[in-house]
Amino acid sequence: MRKKTFAAAALLAAATLTLTACGSENDSGSPVSVVSEEAGSDKAATVLDQPFEKPDLVLTDTQGKKYDLRKETAGKPTLLYFGYTHCPDICPLTMNNIAVAKKSLPKSEQDELRVIFVTTDPDRDTPSELGKWLKGIDSRFVGLTGDFATIQASARTLGISIEPTHKDKKTGKAVSVHGTQVVAFSPKTDAGYVLYGEDATVDDYTKDLPKLVKGEKP
Amino acid sequence: MPAAVLTAALVLTGCGSDSGSGSDSTGGDISVSGAYMPQPVSDDMAAGYLTIVNDTGKKAELVSVTSDIGEVTMHETVGGAMEELTRFSIPAHGRLAFKSGANHLMFDKLKHKPEQGQTVSVELHFAGADPVVVKMPVKSATYVPKTGH
Repeated sequence: MRKKTFAAAALLAAATLTLTACGSENDSGSPVSVVSEEAGSDKAATVLDQPFEKPDLVLTDTQGKKYDLRKETAGKPTLLYFGYTHCPDICPLTMNNIAVAKKSLPKSEQDELRVIFVTTDPDRDTPSELGKWLKGIDSRFVGLTGDFATIQASARTLGISIEPTHKDKKTGKAVSVHGTQVVAFSPKTDAGYVLYGEDATVDDYTKDLPKLVKGEKP
Repeated sequence: MPAAVLTAALVLTGCGSDSGSGSDSTGGDISVSGAYMPQPVSDDMAAGYLTIVNDTGKKAELVSVTSDIGEVTMHETVGGAMEELTRFSIPAHGRLAFKSGANHLMFDKLKHKPEQGQTVSVELHFAGADPVVVKMPVKSATYVPKTGH
């Protein structure tokens, strides 16, 4: 008798499992977009145990002038992002999020903050193209372009992987790649100590910027 | 013994209800929810997002998207790069989400820059099903839909 009950329970358990399997199969069968969601992180910011050194990067700004990242941003709170202007989705969203959040800072801190957009698509993003695009977001943002290999190498030092623009085999259209992170550099140490993923919202930046401009941990 | 019968019934019900309407009865239709376009930076290009729900009993295939505002292409994003696709399939009773950071509609060669508060008309074309017209509201550049999870 006892044995029988056990068997029935096992069967029930099996049935439950089968049910679950059916359900989840139905779910995963639908091509709902795959977004990697970091488990257990309710904060947008990732504070690094080992900060990144600011890349030694000299490129061309939207005025066509030489821009030495280390020199120009020394002692300034700096946000750095790698993207391209022919990007309809994440690049404008990321830059707009920062632009809107920046407006909540006191004027003096807004002036201190450096927001640097480095193109991953230098062939199409000329200084003037970059300038035109950034003007639509925040005219104080700095846009940088130059040699792709130089840009790629500096991104790599920040753990950001980008690839050169290539032609899609099927459509022949240019495909570019953007970085997926914004790196915040401290005005105190000039080191990149906080990362933001592409799901960081205006609210996240609004909450954190007052700390970032002081080099504090969000 | 009765327990075994009961479990068998459960298995049947479990799977049956998922594919209940089967291939012969369509019942539902294809609908769209949560459509929006963030106000773009320039009149160059824009992105559009929506979720397509296929309530029919058969697979639906989205083969093209058109709009009165410009050219529309369908993309999926893979590790920071976007890839153009010419076809997205949506299983019976399944859904397909175009959302920020993932699949998106790309609007190109815009006739004018869509401004917040305006509406863009978009038509989704399916293989073997009627097209669906969507009125896509233009939201702020930083708009993020509130999701359930």
